[in-house]
Amino acid sequence: MSGVTLEKIVKSYGKIEVVHGIDLVVAEKEFVVLVGPSGCGKSTTLRMVAGLEEISAGRITIDDRVVNEVAPKDRDVAMVFQNYALYPHLNVKENIAFGLRIRKESKANIEKQVAEVAEILGLTEYLERRPADLSGGQRQRVAMGRAIVRHPKVFLFDEPLSNLDAKLRTQMRAEIKRLHKRLGVTSIYVTHDQVEAMTLADRIVVMCDGRIEQVGTPMDLFNHPKNLFVASFIGSPPMNQIQAEVEASGDKLFAKFGAHRLELPMLHELGANDHGRKVTLGIRPEHIMTQADPDTDAIEVELDLIETLGSEALLHTTVMGKPFVVKTETRGDLSHLENVRALHFKPDMLKVFDGVNGDVFDHPERLK
Amino acid sequence: MANLSDKSRWLLRHFRREWQIYLMLAPAVIWFLTFLYTPMYGLQVAFKDYSIFKGVAGSPWIGFEHFQTLFDNDDFIRSLKNTAILSAYNLLFAFPAPIILALMFNEILNQWYKKGAQTIVYLPHFISTVILAGIVLTAFSPSAGIVNTVLGWFGVDPIYFMSKPEWFRPIFIGSGIWQEAGFSSIVFLAAIAGVNPSLYESAVVDGASRWQMMWKITIPSILPTILIMLIIRIGNLLEVSFELVLLLYQPATYVTADVVNTFIYRQGIQSGQYDLAAAAGLFNAVVAFILVMTANALSKRFSRTSLW
Repeated sequence: MSGVTLEKIVKSYGKIEVVHGIDLVVAEKEFVVLVGPSGCGKSTTLRMVAGLEEISAGRITIDDRVVNEVAPKDRDVAMVFQNYALYPHLNVKENIAFGLRIRKESKANIEKQVAEVAEILGLTEYLERRPADLSGGQRQRVAMGRAIVRHPKVFLFDEPLSNLDAKLRTQMRAEIKRLHKRLGVTSIYVTHDQVEAMTLADRIVVMCDGRIEQVGTPMDLFNHPKNLFVASFIGSPPMNQIQAEVEASGDKLFAKFGAHRLELPMLHELGANDHGRKVTLGIRPEHIMTQADPDTDAIEVELDLIETLGSEALLHTTVMGKPFVVKTETRGDLSHLENVRALHFKPDMLKVFDGVNGDVFDHPERLK
Repeated sequence: MANLSDKSRWLLRHFRREWQIYLMLAPAVIWFLTFLYTPMYGLQVAFKDYSIFKGVAGSPWIGFEHFQTLFDNDDFIRSLKNTAILSAYNLLFAFPAPIILALMFNEILNQWYKKGAQTIVYLPHFISTVILAGIVLTAFSPSAGIVNTVLGWFGVDPIYFMSKPEWFRPIFIGSGIWQEAGFSSIVFLAAIAGVNPSLYESAVVDGASRWQMMWKITIPSILPTILIMLIIRIGNLLEVSFELVLLLYQPATYVTADVVNTFIYRQGIQSGQYDLAAAAGLFNAVVAFILVMTANALSKRFSRTSLW
């Protein structure tokens, strides 16, 4: 099985530990995205899988073989770098063929493989050009060509789209997804862009400060974040947060903030004993309505500005002096949004996080 | 006309806006004008029967007579030949030396060792040429020189290196390399430092050895720098280190050691034939100009790298 397993992986530079014993299993043919803010250890983890960084402790297995002491070239992985890592003095053909030439493959085989890869990536007409004569997207395709041509067991992508403009990034994202579908090679992809992670991944690994915060499918992370960090990192615009205090009244729990009092849904590990406990309420901008609906709670807001995206708009409001963003449909007109003074949402869309450690209080039925 | 005045108005505005930059440029321009362009006025003596008493302007024109004299002069032809040979040796041995040194430094992984080695090879650059010549003369001395002492251990009789014409070129080139290779390697080290580290990482994943990375990544990546340095070197090809030749040669070694610049020095300063020396100098400059233009054009054509 061409999967990748990371067991208790630690990386230290001198006395500073940057990756703190992470465990991860990437199944064969799976597309896993490591996502997190700068400095969270995602690239270091990827480089450890590639063999470009030694691991300080733990065990990495690729295709059921422990590779801790195996040289990068013998791990049967191919890597695509953020800045393409194309050899400027070689043309596209020579760049793609580089790895095969190093491995002393026959000339005929190299020609055949390069032609095949160029065909897949739409690079046939650019084979004689040098990287300097290519656009950003074409360069990125060449970089992928270099990886594909070796038929590795695992693809490693280190923020490959970061240097591209927004439009090209969207295009290339789709190309990478198509390519993965076509080739079916186990892939680990590093990015700090949660949109990239959501669109590409079979499973997302959210990392923070050298630790894995949560692993799950994109929708799992979006709907059921384990903590405040994941909740705020996944989703665009990020989840709105309100600091509140739990108030127990009879057999019901309420969240109190400012003049507002919202009834809390039934939550695991949160009961009458938690009266006075600090919590953070989280609600996604997409789950807020501008018009009242049966079974919805409402909060009063001040509307600051409306950002128009076309079919949708972002309403920037404030709740208790803190920003609060709403994503809503425009229906081709903004006039009905200009007088928004209250926002509505269903209580079960509300996420409640511990005010101290940020862990979510989940719904009991989800934990069954 | 309107166009011209538009242009001058634009220039005036430009100067007013950017005057600080031109002020900073001024010392360099003044230096060039004073020491490199103004003396060009004196070049005309190459075409005159120059007399100190008549001055440059007052001396009569004699056309290419001095050039004729030069090419009829066996000593000049010999110095031209020696210059060409020393330049070729320089290009062959002294030019690649700093590149090889930089590549070797780049392969040293122990930082302490690397820094120590670099300091040691940079040091000779800071020794004055006179001291360097003194060291060379002492090292190759037949009585107490280290070279002859070591040879003596193997039963070899003392060799009079500095008075034997066949030894002049190797000693001259070798001492030049010893003095400058280390310091010149800085340029190439800087170029190597500028190579994108991802290229090496990508090659490592592809399975390239250090040797393959040096040949397939490092050298091609620093090739533009090598070519620029080569063009500059070719431009100075005929400027064989005048001081070092002057300090190391002696009449016994003129046959291999006398170069155009020492010839000019002897003719111009020692024999007072300023016009003949100027003709030789002008010839030298014209050849250097042609060489640098050719090298630049070739480099531009074949490697997309050029000085201008």
